[in-house]
Amino acid sequence: MIRFDNLSKRYTGGLEALRNVSFEMDGGEMAFLTGHSGAGKSTLLKLLMLIERPTAGNLLINGKNLSRLSKSRIPFYRRQLGVVFQNHQLLFDRSVFENVALPLQVSGYTPGEIGRRVRAALDGVGLLDREKSSPIELSGGEQQRVGIARAVVHKPKILLADEPTGNLDPQLSAEIMALFKRFQDVGVTVLIATHDIDLINKMNLRIMRLNQGELELDGLAHDIS
Amino acid sequence: MTSANKFRESQQSQHAQRGARGSSVSLMDKWRGYKHHHRTTLQSSFAKMLREPLQTLLTVVVIAIALTLPTALYISVENIRQLSGGVESSAQMTVFVKKGARSGAIEKLGEQLGELPGVASVSYISAEAALEEFNALSGFGSALQYLDENPLPEAFLVQPLLLNDSAKLVTEIRQIALVEDVQLDMEWLRRLDALLDMGRKLVLALGAALGVGVILVVGNTIRLAIQSRRDEIVIVKLVGGTDAYVRRPFLYTGVLFGFFGAFIAALMLTGLGLWLEPSVNTLASLYQSQFRLTGLGISGFITLLGIGGAVGLAGAWISVGQHMRDIKPR
Repeated sequence: MIRFDNLSKRYTGGLEALRNVSFEMDGGEMAFLTGHSGAGKSTLLKLLMLIERPTAGNLLINGKNLSRLSKSRIPFYRRQLGVVFQNHQLLFDRSVFENVALPLQVSGYTPGEIGRRVRAALDGVGLLDREKSSPIELSGGEQQRVGIARAVVHKPKILLADEPTGNLDPQLSAEIMALFKRFQDVGVTVLIATHDIDLINKMNLRIMRLNQGELELDGLAHDIS
Repeated sequence: MTSANKFRESQQSQHAQRGARGSSVSLMDKWRGYKHHHRTTLQSSFAKMLREPLQTLLTVVVIAIALTLPTALYISVENIRQLSGGVESSAQMTVFVKKGARSGAIEKLGEQLGELPGVASVSYISAEAALEEFNALSGFGSALQYLDENPLPEAFLVQPLLLNDSAKLVTEIRQIALVEDVQLDMEWLRRLDALLDMGRKLVLALGAALGVGVILVVGNTIRLAIQSRRDEIVIVKLVGGTDAYVRRPFLYTGVLFGFFGAFIAALMLTGLGLWLEPSVNTLASLYQSQFRLTGLGISGFITLLGIGGAVGLAGAWISVGQHMRDIKPR
């Protein structure tokens, strides 16, 4: 599903954020991306979102080389992704419903279809009764769940998350992780960048650890520790 | 976790549903979604303008004034042209009589000219009278004393009923045996035409300058809108919104600004026309003229709205093209 092939990313300032990173993820696999801040986790996700382009190496999604993707095809590629952001990136001038509906609107779904899918996604994260609220009225954990609903509302094949439990207490973090696990169960490829080691260790899933731009470790949590 | 089960169920049922009807959005649904999106984009663009009523009003009024000035000048020029069309019918022609014609024949010629169809009036200018006038007006009076005889011919001033007939009249009169030559007195008309031509060019120049002004005003407004909605643009792009999708609300906003500006301009011009009409009518009646003020009219109203919308769109387009480039991701 996802294949990094000797990928390097050097920013224009000279900072080498990723160095010769190679790994592969199968469809329906779930993995954690760990490492200190500045190790290259965010850069790796940005490359997957095509916010940044690699300076060397290839990035293949479903066998397709992303570096050959033209600028006009980028939006259509992004529609296959679901992304949960660290600071959830919700729009506060819109209701919860409208926030979650955004990925469907840009893809041109009909209003009826949008209503059905948004409610299904909100139901999935347990916020169906808050659809008319403004995100600002919600707690941090609820906001993050709205962000997750938005990331999965269009049934992406790949779900990326950047520090999804960043500001949440352990209990909420565990709930969020359980939520991600359920998406994996229905066949979504899930990649989560996090430094929440306790949480990861409990779940015994694949871990990829970055250190100064290099992939230092790659294996199941229990095997590594 | 009941919500978890529910989610899985809904996911699975929807997967099954998708399997049955294909995973992509059908073309018809896409078209419906597209139409709906355009409608809601237009509505939300309008709603956003209303959210800052004072700012919006200021922008609209600036656009309205910029559109009113050249349009008012244009209407003035068109009216003067129409007025000149009315005066044109009074274009005179001078008929010169052959030298040595006897006075009886000249008298008869005068009658003949008066009976021609399309002639309003005929007046006779004798060679002596012409000489006297020349003496008085030219200042060459003393030079004329050295001439043995009066070099000026006898002449008639012929007033045609309609300017359109005058060309035909000229050829008709030329065929009369006693007539030496016919001259159409159109010099002053040419001057007026040149003046009107200049006026029209002025309208174009002023229109172009103020059109650029409108583009800049709309462009700046759109620039501010883009800046204040930066977060939204980033998110829309990250969830797969195309550039066209991101651009659309701003283009609609530009069109709306231009449209409303033009609408107010059209109202102002209509009001101006109504305000001036009684005075113009009084003036016209004092000159015994049939002249009536021609205002913007319905077609002018609609054209102005179209121009406003187009100029607003142009301003938004330029601004969006420039400022969208700065926003990452591209």
